[in-house]
Amino acid sequence: MAIRHDQGIVLRSYPFGESHRVIVLLSPNNGKLRTVAKGVRKTKSRFGGRLETFCLVDLVLYEGRNLDTITQVSLLDAFSNIRTDLDKVVAAATMVEVADAVAQEHESAIRLFLLLRRGLESLDRRDLHPDLVTAFLLKSADVVGVAPQLDSCAGCGATEGLTRFSFGAGGVLCDRCRTPGAYALREGLTAYLARVAAADIAELPAPDRSFSGEAMGVARRFIEYHLEKKLESLAVLDG
Amino acid sequence: MFEAPVQRLIDELARLPGIGRKSAQRLAFHLLHIEEADAVRLGSSIIDLRREVRLCSRCFNVTSDEECSICRDLRRDPTVLCVVERAQDIPVIEGTQEFSGRYHVLGGAISPIEGIGPDQLRMRELVARIDQEGVAEVIAATNPTVEGDATALYLARLLKPLGVRVTQLASGLPVGGDLDYADEVTLGRALVGRQEL
Ligand SMILES: [Zn+2]
Ligand SMILES: [Zn+2]
Repeated sequence: MAIRHDQGIVLRSYPFGESHRVIVLLSPNNGKLRTVAKGVRKTKSRFGGRLETFCLVDLVLYEGRNLDTITQVSLLDAFSNIRTDLDKVVAAATMVEVADAVAQEHESAIRLFLLLRRGLESLDRRDLHPDLVTAFLLKSADVVGVAPQLDSCAGCGATEGLTRFSFGAGGVLCDRCRTPGAYALREGLTAYLARVAAADIAELPAPDRSFSGEAMGVARRFIEYHLEKKLESLAVLDG
Repeated sequence: MFEAPVQRLIDELARLPGIGRKSAQRLAFHLLHIEEADAVRLGSSIIDLRREVRLCSRCFNVTSDEECSICRDLRRDPTVLCVVERAQDIPVIEGTQEFSGRYHVLGGAISPIEGIGPDQLRMRELVARIDQEGVAEVIAATNPTVEGDATALYLARLLKPLGVRVTQLASGLPVGGDLDYADEVTLGRALVGRQEL
């Protein structure tokens, strides 16, 4: 049996057998990776906290017939400041949930991996930026090839009067092209979304709080439309 | 596949946590050979469990009465509540003999990724107890996982405005262990939570 090295960010894990867990990671070169960590649920496990959600790790894997088994883990970053702030946990969980939904197994995911790593770094090292999740959602749409068109009408290419957002058309629409059901955008929101989508996720421009909430709402519905599922993480503290 | 009664048992056993297809088969074939009296005892103990055991109306611990033995014990301090994820965590904490308050079983932990929010846990019941029982301190004894930590943070956000002191179990090194065997995440938390001597 072969031994191989890989790297990844832990997306989630679930119990497997008596004391094992299946650890699902996002690897830059191999996309979504399902691996087994044996005995990890025991307090004395040598893996300890290294395979907790959000951890960035180097792995030594023993290739199995179905799932590879983790034989060694070294921690590159635990992003441990995320865990001490509930809003950061929700933001990180949202990013991880999206990454989990769009990543494929056995397919490289370098851009998605880098985006997720930079998103987690930003959460860990700075105050929570109100547009961080919005930026992540828009950028992950771009990574999988469905970036919303934000600078011109998705129908005719006009650059003026972009007052509607159509999830089906994949971007903004002008007044002439607007279709029934297209979401009405407040004056300035289109430009705001475009600015957030274009910015470096680690260097987001200063937020305008009058737009942040609505921008997140549009980005969230756009991603949910494409994933054909609700983002569970974002709904957790809604109630 | 197997004869219907054997297959049915295998299917049922395989639904239990930690039991795979293989183990279920092994157990089923073992049960095939036990004495009839043993089989009846096993079967009825499962049925009795369902019939006689319920959840404590106050703390949601398992009990065979309206309230569990801990809630009924007048020597326990009602002003300190230890909040746990599952009822099976209670005997573990009881085993320390360090805690003399009461418990509250949430029924899980906040898990954004699985869509489990406070509304799916017994948070409302917890808030109701604060006033009713004059609770002054809540100890978050959730698991030291992302989910357990998120739950503890939520408890603080929910209860501190009500004037309740909210504490979390310290997390750190296993007693009797060696420092150089500790992983960085555990050791990092032990450092952050270090104590004045
Ligand atoms: Zn148009
Ligand atoms: Zn009770």
